[in-house]
Amino acid sequence: MSSAREMLCDTARAVFAEAATAGIAPVEEAGFALLLVQEEAGGFGGDWGDVNAVLQIAGVMVPDLPVAELIASDALQSAATVSLMAGAMGEALALSIDHVNTRQQFGRPLGKFQAVQQSLAVMACEVRAVEAAAAALAARLDAVDIDPATADFEIAAAKLRANRAVGIVTSIAHQVHGAIGFTEEYDLHRVTVPLMRWRGEHGNDAYWAARLGRQVAGFGGQGLWEALTIRSDKSRTE
Amino acid sequence: MQGFALYPFNPPGDVAALRAGLRNWLAVNQPQGDIVSRANCWASFDADFSRALGAAGYVGMTLPTRYGGGDRHPLERYVVIEELLAAGAPVGAHWIADRQTGPLIVRYGSEEQRQRYLPGIAKGELFACIGLSEHGAGSDLTAVRTTARETAEGWRINGQKIWTTGAHFSHIMLALVRTEEGSERNAGLSQLLIDLDTPGVTIRPIIDMAGHHDFNEVFFDDVLVPHGALVGTRGQGWQQVTAELGLERSGPERYLSSHALFAALIDAAGADPDPAIAVLIGELTAEMWTLRQLSMSTAAKLAAGEDPMVEASVVKELGNAFEQDMPRRVQAIVNCGWDDTDDLARLLRALLIASPSFSLRGGTREVIRGIIARGLGLR
Repeated sequence: MSSAREMLCDTARAVFAEAATAGIAPVEEAGFALLLVQEEAGGFGGDWGDVNAVLQIAGVMVPDLPVAELIASDALQSAATVSLMAGAMGEALALSIDHVNTRQQFGRPLGKFQAVQQSLAVMACEVRAVEAAAAALAARLDAVDIDPATADFEIAAAKLRANRAVGIVTSIAHQVHGAIGFTEEYDLHRVTVPLMRWRGEHGNDAYWAARLGRQVAGFGGQGLWEALTIRSDKSRTE
Repeated sequence: MQGFALYPFNPPGDVAALRAGLRNWLAVNQPQGDIVSRANCWASFDADFSRALGAAGYVGMTLPTRYGGGDRHPLERYVVIEELLAAGAPVGAHWIADRQTGPLIVRYGSEEQRQRYLPGIAKGELFACIGLSEHGAGSDLTAVRTTARETAEGWRINGQKIWTTGAHFSHIMLALVRTEEGSERNAGLSQLLIDLDTPGVTIRPIIDMAGHHDFNEVFFDDVLVPHGALVGTRGQGWQQVTAELGLERSGPERYLSSHALFAALIDAAGADPDPAIAVLIGELTAEMWTLRQLSMSTAAKLAAGEDPMVEASVVKELGNAFEQDMPRRVQAIVNCGWDDTDDLARLLRALLIASPSFSLRGGTREVIRGIIARGLGLR
């Protein structure tokens, strides 16, 4: 991560910590609405890679505040939601790892049991897939000047992939936590409940699958591979 | 494993031109053959095709030019192999030599071994197999019992390997053997390069449930190979093999084995697909697109000299699940008889039968998940 983006993330964490109790006002005052606005126009001049990084933090710290709406246009809300989901899933995984390494039953940490290890490996694969989808979508958006119409294929694929991970990630996270994860006091629901909500917002599975499926049918069997490679060859960065 | 970021996939040069050149070459040189051979095509053996591909410069691409290689960047090779797999080209004959044995000889081999084997590998004419599994050593590879004793004349090998893919058409085997008497587990193991025409080597076929002859049993009865057959450091075989497995797990072959079926499904669906089929195509596309990003990122990380053992395992786990799931999901939705003779039905039947092996070869699903769990800091 570039040092500019790291500074941005540090700022986001500090501001979101305040916003967690004070509401959206500190986020507005900190100027996050200007994240994508060009520097010449008085903005931060950020790219979608920056938005992805900030929203992954927002997805963990302030999932109920309209941070994505503040930063990006309506047409980009589905893309923004992928980043929120990637952040929340990463946190669900981190909480789960921490819990199974700490909680002891039958005289040893839960994480020593193969059944628990295999479950968490399945969960980790889903989380990595969604993080990769969010990052690849960001690379594509930045290669096409953040035009959602030109990145339609990637938005559909990434949101659909993120949606499909929600069931696995939330169910394994809760399963390995046991009863404590089901309490109001413990933090797990602060990420799992928003994940359940985001799956249905800005396009559920059926919406994106039908749309993407029709687009690919239009490409044809060989055309799909050609489309995949042309699009990724063009979104190469640096 | 925390802090995962996508590694930028930036091969040098004009990638679009590299793809176009290969696609044009394939349009002329890819055997038409049976559509079914385009599925799981990295198990399709065609020595003539491998030789032609080598002559065109698409085998041994990353090997040094002084050994006949192309001295190309690993990510240029990645582009070439994903194109070959997506096209369903029969790359099985040279696959192991190109992917693993060649790079391993460059890394650990002696100058004599490099001069002896690399030019043939780069020509697509010298084929290799990997001697790892034994009767008592499957997922637990540290139980290897085949021995090699150092004598005045060379190494004397006794024992047997099993599930050796392609031994019957390979010229050489890179075998993991126990060189230190009385050693246990992962200590005392070494890698030897064995010419398979050496007296005392017997290769017997094992026919798989699809009726194919891919794997074999290989017996070593007092086989004598020269001292120079040792690869790398005596006693370091385990470390060398585990490094090699990282190369094996994250390539595009881990999600493209069923691609011929996917393309046939899309073509059969037509431009205005049935809604249920459109949903299936959409879901499979989302998974494939994501897997490709993960695989390319892992390849880029490998090329940068890092050791993405866990990421590679994530690619294998998700990729195997995807290519194994695909024929099952297609069958659940598309109306096709078991004995129908159209392309889609025949590809579907072949992949339903072949797919159980996808989560066995290259490390079972359970072993791979164990590696991921260790990467997460469990156990």
